[in-house]
Amino acid sequence: MQKLIKNLFDAQRKHFRKGGKLERLYAFFESMETVFFAPARVTQLVPHIRDHLDVKRYMASVVFMLLPLLLFGMYNVGYQAYAAKQLNPGHFWIFWFGFKTVLPLVIVSYVVGFAWEILFSAIRGHEISEGLFVTAMLFPLTLPPTTPLWQAALGISFGVVIGKEVFGGTGRNFLNPALTGRAFLYFAYPSQMSGDAVWTALVNFKAGAVDVVSAATPLVVAAEAKVHGAVEQVLADAGYTFNTLFFGLYPASIGASSAFLCLIAAIVLMILGIASYRIILGDILGILVMGFIVNLTAGESSAAYLSLNPFYHLIIGGAAFGIVFMSTDPVSAPDLHISRWIYGFLVGVLTVVIRVFNPAYPEGIMLAILFMNVFAPLLDHMVISIRLRNRIPNV
Amino acid sequence: MKTLTIKKGYAFNIAGPPAADVVERPSPPRIAVIPHHLRFAKPRLKVAVGDPVNCGSVLFEDKRNPEVKFLSPGGGDIIEINHGPRRTVTEIVIRLDEDEASETFESLSEADLERIHRDHLIQMIIRGGLWWLIRQLPFRDYAKPSSRPAFTLVTLGGKEPFRPLPEIYLNGKTDLFAFGLKLLEKLTGKAPLVCAPGDGDAIVRTLPEHITHVVNGKYPAHDPGTILYTLKTDPSHANAWYIDGQDLLLLAELVRTGKFPTRRIIAVGGNSTPLPGHYLSRLGVPFSYLVDPGKVSANTRYVSGGILTGYTGSPGGYMGLFETSLVLIPEGNTTEFLALFNPGLKKPTYSRSYLSRINPKPLIFDCNRHGGDRACIACMHCADVCPVNILPEFAYKAVLAGEVEEYLAHGLLDCVECGLCSYVCPSKIELTHTFMRAKADYVKAQDK
Repeated sequence: MQKLIKNLFDAQRKHFRKGGKLERLYAFFESMETVFFAPARVTQLVPHIRDHLDVKRYMASVVFMLLPLLLFGMYNVGYQAYAAKQLNPGHFWIFWFGFKTVLPLVIVSYVVGFAWEILFSAIRGHEISEGLFVTAMLFPLTLPPTTPLWQAALGISFGVVIGKEVFGGTGRNFLNPALTGRAFLYFAYPSQMSGDAVWTALVNFKAGAVDVVSAATPLVVAAEAKVHGAVEQVLADAGYTFNTLFFGLYPASIGASSAFLCLIAAIVLMILGIASYRIILGDILGILVMGFIVNLTAGESSAAYLSLNPFYHLIIGGAAFGIVFMSTDPVSAPDLHISRWIYGFLVGVLTVVIRVFNPAYPEGIMLAILFMNVFAPLLDHMVISIRLRNRIPNV
Repeated sequence: MKTLTIKKGYAFNIAGPPAADVVERPSPPRIAVIPHHLRFAKPRLKVAVGDPVNCGSVLFEDKRNPEVKFLSPGGGDIIEINHGPRRTVTEIVIRLDEDEASETFESLSEADLERIHRDHLIQMIIRGGLWWLIRQLPFRDYAKPSSRPAFTLVTLGGKEPFRPLPEIYLNGKTDLFAFGLKLLEKLTGKAPLVCAPGDGDAIVRTLPEHITHVVNGKYPAHDPGTILYTLKTDPSHANAWYIDGQDLLLLAELVRTGKFPTRRIIAVGGNSTPLPGHYLSRLGVPFSYLVDPGKVSANTRYVSGGILTGYTGSPGGYMGLFETSLVLIPEGNTTEFLALFNPGLKKPTYSRSYLSRINPKPLIFDCNRHGGDRACIACMHCADVCPVNILPEFAYKAVLAGEVEEYLAHGLLDCVECGLCSYVCPSKIELTHTFMRAKADYVKAQDK
């Protein structure tokens, strides 16, 4: 097996070397080869030993923790599709429908994303950065299952090129590329990206049948609830009980519905030290604190949404997914520990503020994260200034 | 005895520690002095190939301060002078005579030491060719004789794999050590601070009257830079002198006996070493007289002076002037199949991404870079590990941008050059090397 793969790479290497016909795609070749074979390069400078952790491992851990969400997302897409027709063909067929609906989106995301990354790597002459593996997996998971493939291609292109490459590639982007692409689609094609009708893919029994399943999302149900203090009951009546919302079996973005799987991923990534626990806890704290403050301002005359239990804000919409996978992007988040706490907290606060007070945007986490991404360097600058003031100068 | 605690750093759980008994090695037929490991000195050669030398004859002087001489640690003939890039002198090889002739220098008894004037003592050490043993923070050049340091630090042992254990090289030499401390006090006008590692109970028990500070912490808690960072409270404290415990013994021996001292205890370790242990040998000994080259496998790296801060040498190399340890570890120049998916029970890491974090067994470190060059992804491991609270990521950007004021404000001159930031970096950015070069450039600009 090992021999076979090694021979495959060794046989193809000559095409990618300088002078070969695929010379420009060397970055792609290198990137694929190092997935299977860790390179033999040794240290030339001090220190003579280096840590085994590299960016590939770092990013692969995130992708690995996204896989359960992808699989669950596939199942959920199928489940919602058949549920809309009041059918239950069995778990396999439910999953199969979701699989063939979602997989093209994922493939498009990876192929188009990689094409841009290879193009920029070839121009700049550096290796492919593994950040793309994560971006191209995150992006389709945030889409409604009904997204046309060309829109997915456009979205990932915008995310990768404008969100990342024009600033110098992974490590130099100040916005989360996956979220930038998602936000682009949201504003460019609102009718396909929001509303009540996009969250359920359809089982197409007769070719050409035009059908739409319209179901208000939990965010909309909560926003439009009329009874003060009983929003949770309104949600439950619409089919969104706490359990449904927590485990995620309801019409939503492909991979962002299950707060439960996000929680598991968060715990694993925090244990591995890949996701910053400061950001995640800051986010949660921010949502709970702001949710509670909003509760306090709620009265009989105000919107009933204000009285929603703060914990519901964590499990409805894409909050859990955004907290665990989007706001923790280390590059677009601030770098210092203190600023990460502040950043996380403000993301949480803004999420609730946007959700509750802005009827135009039912979901707040996406804009909250992008907004705080922009302020991340400022937070760092302030914290560093304070830190450096306490240093004893040498000269 | 005060206790200092260094919070940050990294504990290397590395295989192949040297055994704690001393084995005397046979005297080698040739030895070498390696001038280019003196990072700031500009050597002007005073000898040519074929010249006879005594133990203690001048080999070269420093062009910056011609009075500072570097002497031959053995008697015989010069058989090779090797040059590196830009004509740097990399090796002066001396073939040793059977009966080595040696120079004699002025010597002092303990009573003389009380009476002697500071300047006279400095001249004695400079003429005796060992002034370079005393070094000065923050740049780690040898000390400026005219300067008066705020602290003088004597460091015993250390956490870098592997340093000779102080209880071994001080065994039976406590008097000499005490003489050395008095000598330092005379030089600086202040009692030197003797810093011992916290877990080196043995040494703390042996020398309780001399040790002033016990330093607890992981690597590089032993480093004078780290200790100074913890001690200093004022900008004027930045100027400190330091000397390693074993080097202090050489200095004391020179002043007390008037003979150029050549004996050194060298720790030899690492999992590729046939017989890890402490070896009694001499300055500039060839590696082949510390380890049997026939028993070392082909893909082995010889590192003299510690695997984080030392120098790579070929199997035919020699120990440098400051180096008291030789570590042999695998080169690691092979590809590894599916390394990305390996749970990594035996892969050492600072992060928590491998199972090795819960593996208590000593691990094998190799010289593979374990990853390609990437842009910084702000994992902040470098800042978490830096013993002197520099933010390496930001200091690095300031250095690359040429913002001198900014990197000084970030505390670049506090940098211990311990190598941990480069070690932990998942993007494999050469932080330590960049900082060392920036500091060297800063010194150059100041000297002009």
